[in-house]
Amino acid sequence: MRMRFTLGVVVSIALAACASVLGIRHDLPSHPFEHRAHVLKAINCVECHADVDRAGDTGPVHFPSEAVCRQCHEKPHDDRPCILCHGEPYVRQVAELARAQLRFDHLRHMGAVHGDCVRCHSDVAEARPETVLPKMATCFGCHEHRDQWAMRDCNGCHVDLRDEGVPPDDHLVHDADFVREHGVRAASARDLCASCHTERQCASCHGEGTVPALPWKLALGEVSLSGIHRAGFMARHPEEARADPGVCTTCHTESSCVDCHTRENVAGAAARSPHPPGWVNGEHGAQARIDPVSCAGCHGGAGETLCVGCHRVGGPGGNPHGPGFTSHKDVHHDVPCRLCHGVGP
Amino acid sequence: MSCKTTASRHPRRRLVACAATTVAGAMGLASGAGADALRLRADALAETQGTSSPTGLVVLQGQDAIRPWISAEALVWAGARSPHLTGDVLVLTVRLREPHGYVEALAGRFVIATGAVHPVQIDGGHVIGRAPWGSTVEAFGGLPVVPRFGARSYDWIAGGRVAQRVADTVTLGVSYVQRREDGEISSEELGADLAAAPARWLDVAAFGAYDLENPGIAEARASAAVRCNDWRFELFGSQLSPGRLLPATSLFSVLGDMPSQTMGATVRWRAAPRLDLLASGAGQDVAGGLGGNGWVRTTLRLDDRGNGSLGLELRRVDLPGARWTGVRAIGAVPLGKGFWYSSEIEIVAADHPDGRGVAWPWGLSALSWRSRDGWQVAGALEASATPLLRYEAYALVRLSYALGGPETTAPRGPSSGTR
Repeated sequence: MRMRFTLGVVVSIALAACASVLGIRHDLPSHPFEHRAHVLKAINCVECHADVDRAGDTGPVHFPSEAVCRQCHEKPHDDRPCILCHGEPYVRQVAELARAQLRFDHLRHMGAVHGDCVRCHSDVAEARPETVLPKMATCFGCHEHRDQWAMRDCNGCHVDLRDEGVPPDDHLVHDADFVREHGVRAASARDLCASCHTERQCASCHGEGTVPALPWKLALGEVSLSGIHRAGFMARHPEEARADPGVCTTCHTESSCVDCHTRENVAGAAARSPHPPGWVNGEHGAQARIDPVSCAGCHGGAGETLCVGCHRVGGPGGNPHGPGFTSHKDVHHDVPCRLCHGVGP
Repeated sequence: MSCKTTASRHPRRRLVACAATTVAGAMGLASGAGADALRLRADALAETQGTSSPTGLVVLQGQDAIRPWISAEALVWAGARSPHLTGDVLVLTVRLREPHGYVEALAGRFVIATGAVHPVQIDGGHVIGRAPWGSTVEAFGGLPVVPRFGARSYDWIAGGRVAQRVADTVTLGVSYVQRREDGEISSEELGADLAAAPARWLDVAAFGAYDLENPGIAEARASAAVRCNDWRFELFGSQLSPGRLLPATSLFSVLGDMPSQTMGATVRWRAAPRLDLLASGAGQDVAGGLGGNGWVRTTLRLDDRGNGSLGLELRRVDLPGARWTGVRAIGAVPLGKGFWYSSEIEIVAADHPDGRGVAWPWGLSALSWRSRDGWQVAGALEASATPLLRYEAYALVRLSYALGGPETTAPRGPSSGTR
């Protein structure tokens, strides 16, 4: 019985500790502002956020001052400033950043919503840092912005999206396995991506000769950056390439392998062959059909003469074309057909 | 720039001259602008391998919006590993934009990727025309980039895309690209792409590229994602034909079509405000060999802003010729006063190491400091064992300066402020 009691106490303490770590319960002293409690007491937003209803798209953020709090809380429970605990500093920073980065005019909106702040700030009672600002979907509830969206004209609301650097939350979600997903997402809307992302961000991964300037190579401490080539990729890249034949070719040229291997002294005249004994007379043909990119990585270009030696028309290697192979090339004049078809046995 | 077109007998002198010209050009563009818009960043990275010479790297980045309708950006790196000096221009562009977005033009060196066109870095131009009713017409052309100022042959690439938005929720596009090497067609593809968001909780995207030279599907990908509060599910599928992705001028493009197909799902669950769980699994058919891969990842943010985080990932790949298991752990902890400590460890074990070592561990520990006026200093130790080397170790030091605010490379965390 005592054992169970002890175990229960330990589990409870562990859960309580986890609740804080997981963000379920916030540590003191600062915690989200108690908007709900104030709303339930029928206190109008503008009683604390004075003059926000007349604010234009410039000027300070309308957070209440200490004096405003003390108009009602005449005998505070603590001598320290209210904002030390009530409301998180991060929320203020987000609001101040939004003030600088967005063109928004409270004055024009207050009439349209008849002074009902919650029409836009619908999640304010949740008092979570990410709900301090209305989502873009909330804006789109009234403003269609259909033409601006089509024209990629975001400047009506955003001062400078590239400078803003805020990932979208409720549209164009950058979530989960986004590195794999981003290609198919960007296919139809590359110019939309470009409204936030610079050319440098694309070229940092997709450009030729980028390896020395890869983002995660420069960002030593940013271990949460995702990427295909990070961590121990150098060790596992042969396994990665074999697991998805052809995927390397979507960015790298066929000579990338041999260029790098030569620089690193992995390939070249002095390097040992990676093929098992009996490779030429064994499974090389079947493997080449599965992953021709790997073959081209070393034997591409001038190395193709090695294949032509056996597989030329009438040669001992026989016809290398797989079932159903078709091509629009002229077999006697175009490369690579003429390499085999243009020479006699 | 002539320095990018042909090889030289004096590569070092050429490189220095070219890098200087490029950076000077970028700086010149920037200096003509309002100071507030100017954004420059310089990184100097030095790394030391136990027995090798030190390696140095300088990366310069800059961007500026000179007027609302014109902007420019550049990314240049130069490196030295004694006695060799090398470098490259990754981006050097000028973008012109009609204020309302009807026409947009980009010229210089950049990565072109639109519709089903694979990403290609080119020296050329890209023009987009848009209409308010949702029509988009794009055209691009140029010379594929030869890395590190290598010799050029008669290569060029050209193509375009036409797209139409339908009922505000669907975009359909058709693209075409032709690429030539030494005058011969190395790639000619017709592509189709689709993006649809029929509801706020549903996104669908897909594209397919059809090889016109060796007729058949070169690549097709599709993804459908559903969001519901703290959950997100994604179904994805792809087909890749390696032989068709190779240039049609390669001898290895004539071996026939043995496509690999993948079908899988990813799920993300925000289990707690600071805890994300992700899992992904896929079945694969690689030329008749069946298998699959999967991973599970958990990320715990140490505060609501995502400034610090701990993460763990388990991964398994099980396909003929590629069977391995990996585990990766990350940790990033703010130490206060601008200091950060971060560490990343990965261990990979192949089922059939074939004499390449039982496991391939890799680790990095870094300490960095960031000032409020744009300076960053970071030092790291990186150590690993690879199939080729029993062990190797590097020390890395980076010094960075950002003028005009920090460069945003990636979001820190989902709760770090989103729109």
